Amino acid sequence: MKRLALLIALLLAACSTTKTEPVGAGAKLFRDHCAKCHGTDAGGRKDAPSLRSARVQQRPDDSLFRFLTNGDLKRGMPSWSRLPDERRWQLVAYLKSL
Amino acid sequence: MLRLSLSCIATAMLALCASAQEDPYFVTYTHHMEEPGNFEIAINPVAGIPRNGDRALASYLELEYGAKGWWSTALYLDSRSNTGFTGYHFENRFRLLMNEHRVNPVFYIEYADVNGADRITKEVVGFDSWRDFAEPADEARHEKKRELETKLILSSNARGWNFAGNLIAEKNLAGNPWEFGYALGTSRPLALAATAADCRLCRENFSVGLEMYGGLGEQHERTLFQTAHYIAPTLAWSLPKGVTLRVSPAWGVTSSSNRSFIRFGISYEGRLR
Repeated sequence: MKRLALLIALLLAACSTTKTEPVGAGAKLFRDHCAKCHGTDAGGRKDAPSLRSARVQQRPDDSLFRFLTNGDLKRGMPSWSRLPDERRWQLVAYLKSL
Repeated sequence: MLRLSLSCIATAMLALCASAQEDPYFVTYTHHMEEPGNFEIAINPVAGIPRNGDRALASYLELEYGAKGWWSTALYLDSRSNTGFTGYHFENRFRLLMNEHRVNPVFYIEYADVNGADRITKEVVGFDSWRDFAEPADEARHEKKRELETKLILSSNARGWNFAGNLIAEKNLAGNPWEFGYALGTSRPLALAATAADCRLCRENFSVGLEMYGGLGEQHERTLFQTAHYIAPTLAWSLPKGVTLRVSPAWGVTSSSNRSFIRFGISYEGRLR
Protein backbone atom coordinates (compact mmCIF):
# COMPACT_ATOMS: atom_id res chain seq x y z
CA MET A 1 0.00 0.00 0.00
CA LYS A 2 2.85 2.41 0.90
CA ARG A 3 4.67 1.56 -2.31
CA LEU A 4 1.55 2.26 -4.35
CA ALA A 5 1.01 5.59 -2.57
CA LEU A 6 4.63 6.49 -3.29
CA LEU A 7 4.22 5.54 -6.96
CA ILE A 8 1.10 7.69 -7.29
CA ALA A 9 2.83 10.59 -5.54
CA LEU A 10 5.75 10.31 -7.98
CA LEU A 11 3.40 10.19 -10.96
CA LEU A 12 1.50 13.23 -9.74
CA ALA A 13 4.75 15.06 -9.04
CA ALA A 14 5.69 14.43 -12.65
CA CYS A 15 2.60 16.33 -13.80
CA SER A 16 3.62 19.55 -15.46
CA THR A 17 2.88 21.39 -18.66
CA THR A 18 5.33 20.36 -21.34
CA LYS A 19 6.67 23.08 -23.62
CA THR A 20 5.88 22.03 -27.13
CA GLU A 21 5.63 23.40 -30.64
CA PRO A 22 1.89 24.21 -30.81
CA VAL A 23 1.26 23.84 -34.55
CA GLY A 24 3.07 20.50 -34.76
CA ALA A 25 1.35 19.19 -31.65
CA GLY A 26 -1.98 20.52 -32.94
CA ALA A 27 -1.42 18.68 -36.22
CA LYS A 28 -0.94 15.44 -34.32
CA LEU A 29 -4.07 16.07 -32.24
CA PHE A 30 -6.00 16.91 -35.42
CA ARG A 31 -4.90 13.63 -37.00
CA ASP A 32 -5.88 11.68 -33.88
CA HIS A 33 -9.23 13.29 -33.13
CA CYS A 34 -10.57 15.36 -36.04
CA ALA A 35 -9.36 13.90 -39.33
CA LYS A 36 -11.79 11.00 -39.27
CA CYS A 37 -14.68 13.46 -39.76
CA HIS A 38 -13.09 16.53 -41.36
CA GLY A 39 -10.62 14.65 -43.58
CA THR A 40 -6.86 14.37 -43.28
CA ASP A 41 -6.45 17.66 -45.21
CA ALA A 42 -9.21 19.36 -43.13
CA GLY A 43 -11.04 19.89 -46.40
CA GLY A 44 -14.30 18.51 -45.02
CA ARG A 45 -16.42 15.46 -45.76
CA LYS A 46 -20.08 14.66 -46.22
CA ASP A 47 -21.08 15.28 -42.59
CA ALA A 48 -18.36 17.69 -41.48
CA PRO A 49 -17.43 21.06 -43.02
CA SER A 50 -14.08 22.21 -44.35
CA LEU A 51 -11.89 23.81 -41.71
CA ARG A 52 -10.01 25.75 -44.38
CA SER A 53 -13.05 27.89 -45.12
CA ALA A 54 -13.06 31.65 -44.48
CA ARG A 55 -15.77 31.09 -41.87
CA VAL A 56 -13.36 29.10 -39.72
CA GLN A 57 -10.17 30.95 -40.59
CA GLN A 58 -11.62 34.40 -39.81
CA ARG A 59 -13.07 33.33 -36.50
CA PRO A 60 -11.17 34.68 -33.45
CA ASP A 61 -8.96 32.17 -31.63
CA ASP A 62 -10.93 32.30 -28.39
CA SER A 63 -14.18 31.71 -30.28
CA LEU A 64 -12.70 28.60 -31.96
CA PHE A 65 -11.43 27.44 -28.58
CA ARG A 66 -14.92 27.80 -27.08
CA PHE A 67 -16.42 25.94 -30.02
CA LEU A 68 -14.01 23.04 -29.52
CA THR A 69 -14.88 23.02 -25.82
CA ASN A 70 -18.66 23.04 -26.26
CA GLY A 71 -19.05 21.36 -29.63
CA ASP A 72 -22.42 21.55 -31.29
CA LEU A 73 -23.98 18.45 -29.85
CA LYS A 74 -27.26 18.72 -31.72
CA ARG A 75 -25.48 18.94 -35.07
CA GLY A 76 -23.00 16.14 -34.45
CA MET A 77 -19.91 18.10 -33.43
CA PRO A 78 -18.69 16.53 -30.16
CA SER A 79 -17.45 18.50 -27.18
CA TRP A 80 -13.68 18.17 -26.83
CA SER A 81 -13.68 19.21 -23.20
CA ARG A 82 -12.10 15.85 -22.41
CA LEU A 83 -8.88 17.27 -23.88
CA PRO A 84 -7.07 19.64 -21.51
CA ASP A 85 -7.18 23.38 -22.36
CA GLU A 86 -3.56 23.27 -23.53
CA ARG A 87 -4.37 20.68 -26.20
CA ARG A 88 -7.43 22.58 -27.42
CA TRP A 89 -5.25 25.69 -27.85
CA GLN A 90 -2.77 23.58 -29.80
CA LEU A 91 -5.62 22.50 -32.06
CA VAL A 92 -6.62 26.15 -32.57
CA ALA A 93 -3.00 27.01 -33.49
CA TYR A 94 -2.99 24.23 -36.07
CA LEU A 95 -6.37 25.18 -37.56
CA LYS A 96 -5.21 28.79 -37.94
CA SER A 97 -2.06 27.60 -39.71
CA LEU A 98 -3.99 25.90 -42.53
CA MET B 1 -13.24 -16.68 -21.28
CA LEU B 2 -9.48 -16.50 -21.80
CA ARG B 3 -9.98 -17.38 -25.48
CA LEU B 4 -12.67 -14.70 -25.78
CA SER B 5 -10.41 -12.16 -24.08
CA LEU B 6 -7.49 -12.94 -26.35
CA SER B 7 -9.60 -12.72 -29.49
CA CYS B 8 -10.99 -9.34 -28.38
CA ILE B 9 -7.49 -8.07 -27.64
CA ALA B 10 -6.28 -9.28 -31.04
CA THR B 11 -9.23 -7.57 -32.75
CA ALA B 12 -8.44 -4.37 -30.92
CA MET B 13 -4.74 -4.46 -31.75
CA LEU B 14 -5.33 -5.20 -35.42
CA ALA B 15 -7.96 -2.56 -35.91
CA LEU B 16 -7.12 0.52 -37.89
CA CYS B 17 -7.68 4.24 -37.99
CA ALA B 18 -9.01 5.70 -34.76
CA SER B 19 -8.01 7.66 -31.73
CA ALA B 20 -8.60 7.37 -28.01
CA GLN B 21 -8.63 9.73 -25.07
CA GLU B 22 -10.33 7.67 -22.43
CA ASP B 23 -10.99 8.49 -18.81
CA PRO B 24 -9.09 6.13 -16.51
CA TYR B 25 -12.17 5.25 -14.43
CA PHE B 26 -13.79 1.83 -14.21
CA VAL B 27 -16.77 2.66 -11.99
CA THR B 28 -17.25 6.43 -12.12
CA TYR B 29 -18.94 7.99 -15.14
CA THR B 30 -18.17 11.48 -16.43
CA HIS B 31 -19.93 13.82 -18.87
CA HIS B 32 -17.50 12.80 -21.62
CA MET B 33 -19.72 11.02 -24.12
CA GLU B 34 -18.78 8.71 -26.94
CA GLU B 35 -18.35 10.81 -30.08
CA PRO B 36 -21.30 10.54 -32.48
CA GLY B 37 -20.78 7.69 -34.94
CA ASN B 38 -17.96 6.19 -32.85
CA PHE B 39 -18.04 2.77 -31.26
CA GLU B 40 -15.94 1.33 -28.48
CA ILE B 41 -15.22 -2.31 -27.77
CA ALA B 42 -13.71 -3.06 -24.40
CA ILE B 43 -12.98 -6.14 -22.38
CA ASN B 44 -12.62 -5.67 -18.64
CA PRO B 45 -11.49 -8.59 -16.48
CA VAL B 46 -12.10 -8.22 -12.73
CA ALA B 47 -10.50 -10.38 -10.05
CA GLY B 48 -12.11 -10.18 -6.61
CA ILE B 49 -10.52 -11.32 -3.36
CA PRO B 50 -13.27 -11.77 -0.75
CA ARG B 51 -12.78 -11.97 2.99
CA ASN B 52 -14.18 -15.51 2.85
CA GLY B 53 -14.94 -17.89 0.02
CA ASP B 54 -13.36 -18.42 -3.37
CA ARG B 55 -11.66 -15.77 -5.42
CA ALA B 56 -13.86 -14.70 -8.31
CA LEU B 57 -12.58 -13.96 -11.79
CA ALA B 58 -15.18 -12.21 -13.91
CA SER B 59 -15.14 -10.19 -17.08
CA TYR B 60 -17.40 -8.01 -19.17
CA LEU B 61 -17.40 -7.17 -22.81
CA GLU B 62 -18.53 -3.60 -23.44
CA LEU B 63 -19.96 -2.45 -26.76
CA GLU B 64 -20.60 1.29 -26.72
CA TYR B 65 -21.87 3.58 -29.46
CA GLY B 66 -22.18 7.35 -29.75
CA ALA B 67 -25.71 7.77 -31.10
CA LYS B 68 -25.64 11.58 -30.82
CA GLY B 69 -23.29 14.12 -29.32
CA TRP B 70 -25.54 14.09 -26.24
CA TRP B 71 -26.51 10.39 -26.20
CA SER B 72 -24.32 7.30 -25.72
CA THR B 73 -25.68 3.76 -25.61
CA ALA B 74 -23.92 0.57 -24.51
CA LEU B 75 -24.40 -3.16 -24.09
CA TYR B 76 -22.41 -5.14 -21.54
CA LEU B 77 -22.09 -8.93 -21.66
CA ASP B 78 -20.92 -10.41 -18.35
CA SER B 79 -19.15 -13.69 -17.70
CA ARG B 80 -17.45 -15.50 -14.86
CA SER B 81 -14.61 -18.00 -15.02
CA ASN B 82 -16.42 -21.02 -13.56
CA THR B 83 -20.01 -20.37 -14.68
CA GLY B 84 -19.71 -18.75 -18.11
CA PHE B 85 -22.23 -16.13 -19.24
CA THR B 86 -23.88 -14.42 -16.26
CA GLY B 87 -26.06 -11.76 -17.87
CA TYR B 88 -26.23 -8.49 -19.74
CA HIS B 89 -26.73 -4.77 -19.09
CA PHE B 90 -28.15 -2.24 -21.54
CA GLU B 91 -27.39 1.37 -20.66
CA ASN B 92 -28.08 4.80 -22.06
CA ARG B 93 -26.56 8.12 -21.03
CA PHE B 94 -28.07 11.49 -21.87
CA ARG B 95 -26.21 14.74 -21.46
CA LEU B 96 -28.70 17.22 -20.00
CA LEU B 97 -26.99 20.50 -20.96
CA MET B 98 -25.72 21.05 -24.47
CA ASN B 99 -22.83 23.39 -23.54
CA GLU B 100 -19.91 22.92 -21.19
CA HIS B 101 -20.62 24.29 -17.70
CA ARG B 102 -18.79 24.32 -14.42
CA VAL B 103 -20.77 21.20 -13.45
CA ASN B 104 -22.21 19.05 -16.22
CA PRO B 105 -25.14 16.76 -15.43
CA VAL B 106 -25.82 13.50 -17.27
CA PHE B 107 -28.78 11.16 -16.74
CA TYR B 108 -28.02 7.44 -16.90
CA ILE B 109 -30.53 4.59 -17.14
CA GLU B 110 -29.74 0.90 -17.30
CA TYR B 111 -31.65 -2.37 -17.52
CA ALA B 112 -29.81 -5.45 -16.30
CA ASP B 113 -30.73 -9.11 -16.57
CA VAL B 114 -28.11 -11.05 -14.62
CA ASN B 115 -27.90 -14.07 -12.38
CA GLY B 116 -26.66 -14.20 -8.80
CA ALA B 117 -23.21 -15.44 -9.87
CA ASP B 118 -22.47 -12.17 -11.67
CA ARG B 119 -19.37 -10.62 -10.11
CA ILE B 120 -18.30 -7.80 -12.41
CA THR B 121 -19.11 -5.30 -9.62
CA LYS B 122 -19.64 -2.38 -11.96
CA GLU B 123 -20.98 -0.49 -8.96
CA VAL B 124 -21.70 -1.07 -5.27
CA VAL B 125 -25.17 -0.31 -3.91
CA GLY B 126 -27.31 -0.89 -0.82
CA PHE B 127 -25.76 -3.39 1.57
CA ASP B 128 -23.65 -5.24 -1.03
CA SER B 129 -20.89 -6.94 0.96
CA TRP B 130 -18.26 -9.68 0.95
CA ARG B 131 -20.99 -12.12 2.05
CA ASP B 132 -22.46 -11.97 -1.47
CA PHE B 133 -19.13 -13.25 -2.77
CA ALA B 134 -19.01 -16.09 -0.25
CA GLU B 135 -22.01 -17.82 -1.86
CA PRO B 136 -20.83 -20.66 -4.15
CA ALA B 137 -21.22 -19.75 -7.83
CA ASP B 138 -23.18 -22.93 -8.66
CA GLU B 139 -25.87 -21.97 -6.15
CA ALA B 140 -25.84 -18.27 -6.87
CA ARG B 141 -26.33 -18.73 -10.62
CA HIS B 142 -29.91 -19.96 -10.04
CA GLU B 143 -30.93 -16.57 -8.68
CA LYS B 144 -32.29 -14.36 -11.46
CA LYS B 145 -32.09 -10.58 -11.12
CA ARG B 146 -33.79 -8.08 -13.39
CA GLU B 147 -32.79 -4.62 -12.30
CA LEU B 148 -33.38 -1.03 -13.26
CA GLU B 149 -30.60 1.35 -12.40
CA THR B 150 -30.43 5.12 -12.68
CA LYS B 151 -27.56 7.47 -12.05
CA LEU B 152 -27.20 11.19 -11.81
CA ILE B 153 -23.73 11.93 -13.11
CA LEU B 154 -22.14 15.27 -12.23
CA SER B 155 -18.80 16.01 -13.80
CA SER B 156 -16.45 18.94 -14.04
CA ASN B 157 -13.14 19.77 -15.73
CA ALA B 158 -10.75 22.29 -14.22
CA ARG B 159 -7.05 22.94 -14.92
CA GLY B 160 -6.58 19.56 -16.53
CA TRP B 161 -8.33 17.69 -13.74
CA ASN B 162 -11.64 15.90 -14.02
CA PHE B 163 -13.89 15.62 -10.97
CA ALA B 164 -16.93 13.35 -11.18
CA GLY B 165 -19.61 12.17 -8.80
CA ASN B 166 -22.35 9.63 -9.46
CA LEU B 167 -25.44 9.08 -7.33
CA ILE B 168 -26.85 5.62 -8.00
CA ALA B 169 -30.36 4.25 -7.42
CA GLU B 170 -30.97 0.60 -8.30
CA LYS B 171 -34.14 -1.47 -8.04
CA ASN B 172 -34.63 -5.19 -8.42
CA LEU B 173 -37.85 -5.43 -10.43
CA ALA B 174 -38.98 -8.43 -8.37
CA GLY B 175 -40.23 -5.86 -5.86
CA ASN B 176 -37.22 -5.21 -3.65
CA PRO B 177 -36.71 -1.67 -2.34
CA TRP B 178 -34.51 0.86 -4.12
CA GLU B 179 -30.84 0.56 -3.20
CA PHE B 180 -28.49 3.52 -3.28
CA GLY B 181 -24.80 3.95 -3.92
CA TYR B 182 -22.22 6.46 -5.04
CA ALA B 183 -19.01 6.74 -7.02
CA LEU B 184 -16.51 9.58 -6.87
CA GLY B 185 -13.51 10.05 -9.10
CA THR B 186 -10.77 12.48 -9.98
CA SER B 187 -8.19 12.15 -12.71
CA ARG B 188 -5.60 14.04 -14.70
CA PRO B 189 -3.28 13.37 -17.65
CA LEU B 190 0.39 13.31 -16.67
CA ALA B 191 1.07 16.06 -19.23
CA LEU B 192 -1.53 18.61 -20.27
CA ALA B 193 -0.02 19.69 -23.59
CA ALA B 194 0.68 17.31 -26.44
CA THR B 195 4.07 16.91 -28.06
CA ALA B 196 4.47 17.07 -31.82
CA ALA B 197 6.25 13.71 -31.98
CA ASP B 198 4.46 10.39 -32.30
CA CYS B 199 5.24 8.54 -29.12
CA ARG B 200 3.88 5.76 -26.98
CA LEU B 201 5.58 6.43 -23.66
CA CYS B 202 5.10 10.22 -23.54
CA ARG B 203 3.49 11.48 -20.36
CA GLU B 204 0.59 12.91 -22.38
CA ASN B 205 -0.54 9.33 -23.09
CA PHE B 206 -0.97 8.47 -19.41
CA SER B 207 -3.78 9.49 -17.07
CA VAL B 208 -3.88 8.76 -13.37
CA GLY B 209 -6.87 8.95 -11.10
CA LEU B 210 -8.47 7.92 -7.88
CA GLU B 211 -11.95 6.47 -7.41
CA MET B 212 -14.02 5.84 -4.32
CA TYR B 213 -17.33 3.97 -4.44
CA GLY B 214 -19.72 2.26 -2.10
CA GLY B 215 -23.24 1.61 -0.86
CA LEU B 216 -25.59 4.08 0.82
CA GLY B 217 -28.23 1.71 2.13
CA GLU B 218 -31.78 1.17 0.94
CA GLN B 219 -35.02 3.05 0.46
CA HIS B 220 -36.16 2.41 4.05
CA GLU B 221 -32.74 2.46 5.65
CA ARG B 222 -30.41 5.08 4.21
CA THR B 223 -27.20 4.62 6.13
CA LEU B 224 -23.47 4.05 5.87
CA PHE B 225 -23.61 1.41 8.62
CA GLN B 226 -22.70 -2.08 7.33
CA THR B 227 -22.13 -0.84 3.82
CA ALA B 228 -19.11 -1.62 1.65
CA HIS B 229 -16.74 1.07 0.38
CA TYR B 230 -13.68 0.89 -1.83
CA ILE B 231 -10.82 3.16 -2.74
CA ALA B 232 -9.11 2.57 -6.05
CA PRO B 233 -6.21 4.31 -7.82
CA THR B 234 -6.46 4.05 -11.60
CA LEU B 235 -4.06 4.33 -14.51
CA ALA B 236 -4.86 4.58 -18.23
CA TRP B 237 -2.41 4.40 -21.11
CA SER B 238 -3.59 5.59 -24.51
CA LEU B 239 -1.85 3.86 -27.39
CA PRO B 240 -1.97 4.76 -31.07
CA LYS B 241 -4.79 3.40 -33.27
CA GLY B 242 -7.49 4.00 -30.65
CA VAL B 243 -6.35 1.43 -28.09
CA THR B 244 -6.38 2.20 -24.35
CA LEU B 245 -5.10 0.00 -21.53
CA ARG B 246 -6.33 0.55 -17.99
CA VAL B 247 -5.65 -0.96 -14.59
CA SER B 248 -7.06 -0.29 -11.14
CA PRO B 249 -6.49 -2.13 -7.86
CA ALA B 250 -9.24 -1.47 -5.29
CA TRP B 251 -9.16 -1.97 -1.54
CA GLY B 252 -12.12 -2.42 0.75
CA VAL B 253 -12.14 0.13 3.57
CA THR B 254 -14.97 -1.16 5.78
CA SER B 255 -15.69 -4.49 7.45
CA SER B 256 -18.46 -5.21 4.91
CA SER B 257 -16.13 -4.70 1.95
CA ASN B 258 -14.30 -7.39 0.05
CA ARG B 259 -10.58 -7.38 0.75
CA SER B 260 -9.63 -6.15 -2.72
CA PHE B 261 -10.29 -6.18 -6.44
CA ILE B 262 -8.07 -5.71 -9.38
CA ARG B 263 -9.54 -4.51 -12.64
CA PHE B 264 -7.99 -4.48 -16.08
CA GLY B 265 -9.34 -2.99 -19.27
CA ILE B 266 -8.41 -2.91 -22.91
CA SER B 267 -10.54 -0.87 -25.24
CA TYR B 268 -10.57 -0.02 -28.90
CA GLU B 269 -12.37 2.98 -30.28
CA GLY B 270 -13.30 3.25 -33.97
CA ARG B 271 -15.79 4.82 -36.32
CA LEU B 272 -18.92 3.27 -37.76
CA ARG B 273 -20.06 6.11 -40.01
